[in-house]
Amino acid sequence: MEVYIIMEKKKRIEALNEKARAIEALTGGEKRSVEALEEGGMLKMPVGCTTVFDTGWETNPRATNPVGNCQPSAHDYLGCAGDCWWPAQNPDGLTNYLDLEGVCSSIIRDWRDIK
Amino acid sequence: MIYEWTDHQIFGAENGAILFGVDQGSLFFIDKPTHEVLSRWKTSRTLDLDDVPEGDREILEGLRDARFLAPSGARHRIEALDFDIASIPLTTMVLEVAQDCNLACTYCYAGGGSYGRSACLLSPDMARQAVRKLVDDSGDRDTVTLVIFGGEPLLNMPAVRAAVEEAQTLSRERGKQVFVSLTTNGTLLNSDIVEFIHINKIAVALSLDGPADLHDTNRPNLAGTGSYAAITANLEGLLSGSSAAVAARVTLTPDQWCRIEEVFYHLMQLGFHEVGIAPVSPVRRELLPNADQEEALLQGFSALARTFLKAAQANRLLPFTNLIDLLARLHLGQTKSVSCGAGYGYLAVDAEGSLYVCHRLVGEETCRVGNLDDGADPGEIRRALDKLTCGKQEMCRSCWARTLCSGGCHYENHLRENLLGLPPGGSCDFIRRWFKLGIEVYAELKRSGAEEILQRLGKRLKC
Repeated sequence: MEVYIIMEKKKRIEALNEKARAIEALTGGEKRSVEALEEGGMLKMPVGCTTVFDTGWETNPRATNPVGNCQPSAHDYLGCAGDCWWPAQNPDGLTNYLDLEGVCSSIIRDWRDIK
Repeated sequence: MIYEWTDHQIFGAENGAILFGVDQGSLFFIDKPTHEVLSRWKTSRTLDLDDVPEGDREILEGLRDARFLAPSGARHRIEALDFDIASIPLTTMVLEVAQDCNLACTYCYAGGGSYGRSACLLSPDMARQAVRKLVDDSGDRDTVTLVIFGGEPLLNMPAVRAAVEEAQTLSRERGKQVFVSLTTNGTLLNSDIVEFIHINKIAVALSLDGPADLHDTNRPNLAGTGSYAAITANLEGLLSGSSAAVAARVTLTPDQWCRIEEVFYHLMQLGFHEVGIAPVSPVRRELLPNADQEEALLQGFSALARTFLKAAQANRLLPFTNLIDLLARLHLGQTKSVSCGAGYGYLAVDAEGSLYVCHRLVGEETCRVGNLDDGADPGEIRRALDKLTCGKQEMCRSCWARTLCSGGCHYENHLRENLLGLPPGGSCDFIRRWFKLGIEVYAELKRSGAEEILQRLGKRLKC
C-alpha cells in the first residue's frame, strides 16, 4: 500500500531540474531512516563520532542550514532527528532552548549566539 | 504536525502547472489535481495534515516532501550570507587596455570609451602587473579569466600582447589555466591580429548590432559613417579557424526592439557561434523604454525562445546566449545571494591602474576600491557594494525572483536611480517576465525529453 502511495505522488509531482531531483533524493533518504527506526531494526549506517579518517559521513543532506556542514554537526545544531548520531551534544530544542532556530538561523554566522 | 507554505511561485503549463521553490531554486511539474489542491489550501496560513481530508492529505504530503510545506515556525527561508570579501579569491579581471575608441556609438556608457576622462592607454608593464595580480590573488582557483576590454582594446595592441604573454607565462609557471577573452568593435581586425587571437585561443565578443542599416545607425565611426562594412570585411577570417568561441554582442535601443528576430538570424547567418542581445542601458533619459517597447522586447525574446525549443527538440542548439545562460542556471537550480560577482572575485582595472568593482562602473569614484600596487581594499568594496544595493533589500524580500536575480545589474540600477533619479525597481517587472519565460521554456524542454541539450547547458555553467 505504501509503495502505491509513493508512486502516486511521483506521478503527481515530477522533479524537473537537478535541484528538484536532489530534494526528491533527500526525501527518499529521510523516509528510509524513519522507516528503519519505526521498524526497530538495525540502522545500516555508522554510529559514533568522526575520526580524522572520516570526513563526517558526507555533508548535511538536508535542504536546511547549516548547508554543507558535516552531518554530525548539522544534527548537533539543529536538534535531534530520527537518525541522530550524536545525541549528547544536541542543544535541547524542546525544553531548554526553544528559540534555537530563531537565535541561530545561519549556523555559520550565528553559532556564537548559542548559549 | 502543523505546516506552513514555503515561498513558491506557480506558472501555467499544459495538463498541470510548474511549481518554483523560491529558496531552493527547485522546479517541479505538478498535475491538475495537485494544482487544484494547492490552490485551495494555499491561502491557509498553517495546515495540520491530520485534519485535512484524506484525498487532499496525500497530495499535500507530496508537496511537503518536495519542500513546499515546512514545519510551522521553522526557519525554512534561506537567508543570504554576509560574505567575507577578503577571503574570496580573485577570479576575473577586466583590463581596460584602452580608454579610447575609434567609434562614436550613440548609446555608449563609457563616454566614447574614455569613461568620462581624457583618452588614455594602459602601459604594457601595467598590463603585465594586472595579470600577475589576478594570478597571485586567485588563491586555490585552478582557472581564472582575463577579459581584455576598452574602449576599443585593439587600439593598444602592445598592452594586449603583453597581457596575453604574461597570462601564458604564469599559466605555465603556476599550473593555472588563464582564460582570455576580448571584447572588440572589430573594425581594427587584420590578418596579424586574427592570427594572434587564434594562436592564443582567445574568446572574442564582437559588437555587431545587426544588419547594416541598424548597426550603422548605432555604431558610426568618428567621421559619422557606419562601421558595418569595415567589420564584416574581417569577419570570415576571424570565424574560420577559430579555436575559441566568437560571439556577437548586440545592443539595441528601445525603438529597435521590434527587430530582434531579424537581428538574431542575420548574425547567425554571418556565422557567429553565439549571439547575445542586450537592451541598451539608459545612459540618457530618451533611451528609457515605454511599455509598448518593453512588450516588443519580450515578444522578440519569446519568439526566439520558441524557435530555440523547436531546435532543441531536434537536438540542435540555437545559439541564443541570453536564453542558454538562463536555462543552464534553471537546470542546475542555482540560486544567488548577490546579483553578480562585482567585488566578489571580479574586479576591473582602468588604464591608470585603479581597481573598480565592475568594468561598467569604471570612472565612478564611489566604486574605486584600490589600485594595482596596493590591491583592492575589502572595506572599500563593501562600502561600494552597500551603496549600490542600498534600499532594495525590502523590495527583494517579497519578490519570487529574488534567488534568480538578487537585485539586478548594479550599473543599470545606478543609472536609473542615481543618474535619472528614478525609484528603485523600474526594471523588475521586465526581469520577472523574462525569468517566467525561461522557466516555461525549461519545463517544456524537460518534459519533451530534450535531456541531452540540458546536460550540455548544465556542463557549460559548471566549468
